[in-house]
Amino acid sequence: MATRIMKKRYPHWKTALLLLTPFTLVYVLFLIYPTARVLYLSFTDSDIAGIGTFIGGDNYVKLITDKLFWGSLGNTVYFILLTVVPNTAAGLLIALLLDKMKRFRSFAQVLFFLPYILPVSVVTQIWLWVLNTNYGIYNFLLGNHINWFKSVATAMPAVALVTIWWTVGFNILLFIAGLKAIPKEMYEAAALDGVDKGFRVFRHITWPLLWPVTSLVLLLQLIAQWQIFNQVYLLTNGGPFNKTIVVLQYMYVQAFQNGHGGYASTISMALFVIILITSLIQLRFLSLRGNS
Amino acid sequence: MRSLLKGTIMAIMLSVVAVLGWSQTEIVLWDFLGGGDGVRWKTIVDGFNESQSTYKVNGTTLAWGDPFYAKVHVGVVAGETPDVMTYHMSHFPVGIKGNDLRPITDAELKTVGLSIADFNPALTKVSLDISKTFGKAGVLYGVPLDTHTSILYINKDLFKKAGLLAADGSIAPIVGIDQFTAALKKLKTLGVMPFTYSSSADSATVWRLFYTLYSQMGGGFVTNGKISLGQLDTLGKKVVQLLADWTTQGLIPNNIAYPDSIALFSAGKAAIMFNGNWEVPTFVDLKANGKLPFEYGLMAFPKLFANQSTWADSHSIAIPNNTKNPISAAKLKGVLTFIAYVEKNADKWAAGGHLPAYLPVLNGPVLKTLSPVNQYAAQAAKDVFLEPVNPAFGVADPAYSAVDNFLTPAITGAASVADGISGFKDAIQNAQ
Repeated sequence: MATRIMKKRYPHWKTALLLLTPFTLVYVLFLIYPTARVLYLSFTDSDIAGIGTFIGGDNYVKLITDKLFWGSLGNTVYFILLTVVPNTAAGLLIALLLDKMKRFRSFAQVLFFLPYILPVSVVTQIWLWVLNTNYGIYNFLLGNHINWFKSVATAMPAVALVTIWWTVGFNILLFIAGLKAIPKEMYEAAALDGVDKGFRVFRHITWPLLWPVTSLVLLLQLIAQWQIFNQVYLLTNGGPFNKTIVVLQYMYVQAFQNGHGGYASTISMALFVIILITSLIQLRFLSLRGNS
Repeated sequence: MRSLLKGTIMAIMLSVVAVLGWSQTEIVLWDFLGGGDGVRWKTIVDGFNESQSTYKVNGTTLAWGDPFYAKVHVGVVAGETPDVMTYHMSHFPVGIKGNDLRPITDAELKTVGLSIADFNPALTKVSLDISKTFGKAGVLYGVPLDTHTSILYINKDLFKKAGLLAADGSIAPIVGIDQFTAALKKLKTLGVMPFTYSSSADSATVWRLFYTLYSQMGGGFVTNGKISLGQLDTLGKKVVQLLADWTTQGLIPNNIAYPDSIALFSAGKAAIMFNGNWEVPTFVDLKANGKLPFEYGLMAFPKLFANQSTWADSHSIAIPNNTKNPISAAKLKGVLTFIAYVEKNADKWAAGGHLPAYLPVLNGPVLKTLSPVNQYAAQAAKDVFLEPVNPAFGVADPAYSAVDNFLTPAITGAASVADGISGFKDAIQNAQ
């Protein structure tokens, strides 16, 4: 009976099933199963090979009182503050400027996008050279010896700067596409109504019509930056004084240096929940703004 | 019945293989040896394969540090291990606690003509101590291949200009911290960096320098098998303060990376370089190719405080403790034969600057004439001061990352000495 209804309602269900199966298999095998496994491990005292015994909620109790975990969470939030809005703003600004360019536009677009295609190890190596204490071009030009990645005050901002330089190209691309999608007639109509000054046009036409793209960029940024790891691992390794240790770096240290696989899983679960909640809040907040 | 069947099939397969001439037993080897060490290691492995036809060692080189040890541990748990591997003695405590290492008895060593007594006692004493504390007493969890330590590379031209050479052109002995600092200040007047070492994102080198000076002052980390960090507040602070002062005075560089430190020295812009003995081949090659614009010399780290001791670690050859698929008797025999070959040919390994652990080679004629290793070998072998016997210390272990996190900023002036030491202490304590 049920199959008959299925057949009636979805005449191509066999094809659909065939097309869906590979993805579903991969999804279950490589995403759902590992997630469930990490959830289980978070209740054990496993080492990195997953060998251990069930210890109930002990890891979660430990997590709540673990100063370094809260410190790493604070550092991650600091990193998010330093990157999410600035990176979006930089992307928007550069996209607007590129949009105004009459000559060499494609060339300039390529230049801005270029860093994004580099692997993270290359990006961090470039910046380790540029900001090198003794031989770096930046310190050479300014004649100082700032130890960018080793000073408590400058380490995280330096990591943030590298991240923005690396990823802003993708945001620019999204914004350029967004700008292209705004109908020309809007601007023409505004000009007829006497609104043709740069900022007023931006404030009343470009900004509201671009909002869906802006909110998308903000959301993508937020999710990506919660998961900051590579740049920190390669540039500062969490130092100095744990000032750049972020949640994933701390998880790595617990898992691979201290051999606490179970506790590392608990940290992962905490991050999973945090990202889920912030994404939901942001989605709701941004879509509300978008509708108004 | 099943095992009988299995055995019969195996026997038939083996005899077929033997008839076809593929009678070699394959031995799988994992190592972490890159660069020049890797090349020399492969020469020795190839030498073993050519020296006999019963066994064939197939080596794979993996990334040094935590990736290597994480892979070994996961391999042991999964029952998918190599038959033999290189291993740092400083990582034994973690390896034994994680059940990654198969004990090797003296009786097993004797089957291939080796004995625990044949090795540098400075190494075996600590190794047996580790065995007793974390595993089974009286066995080795890896056969020591070498001692590797930190030495000083000297630009003799600059030393001559600063009047630091003896009349016969050799490096005049430097004793005591005052004399050493005075020498550095003299070298600074020549407009060069007096003493270079790698400190940027390089926990290992900073740790080795810190630990050498700390041990010379009589500092330690373990008392009666328990971690004890009290001396860090006194002696540890003194060491960090000394290095911080040297940094402020421009006697040592502020935050330069490993390759930069070598470049600085090999370009003649630094008078002394603190580095591992494994860079010796770099300078042998540079000199041979006429690319070194000065005369260089090597010396064991001098006695600056009460004790003459220098940080050292040991590359060992170990057998993974594969309990799911235990090593067969035939393979074990092959592994031990391989180990014996490597030990007896350790003079080839010594060309990489390392000090062989096998006494007949260490005290043998080849090493006495092996230039330039003989400039420091005898003294350095006496000064060996191994890593603290505790899982927090050693290659890829928590103390290493704590150095970069807390001590380096204090040395380079990015934080206070007191904060550096207290952060370092907390990190080691938390890793217990």
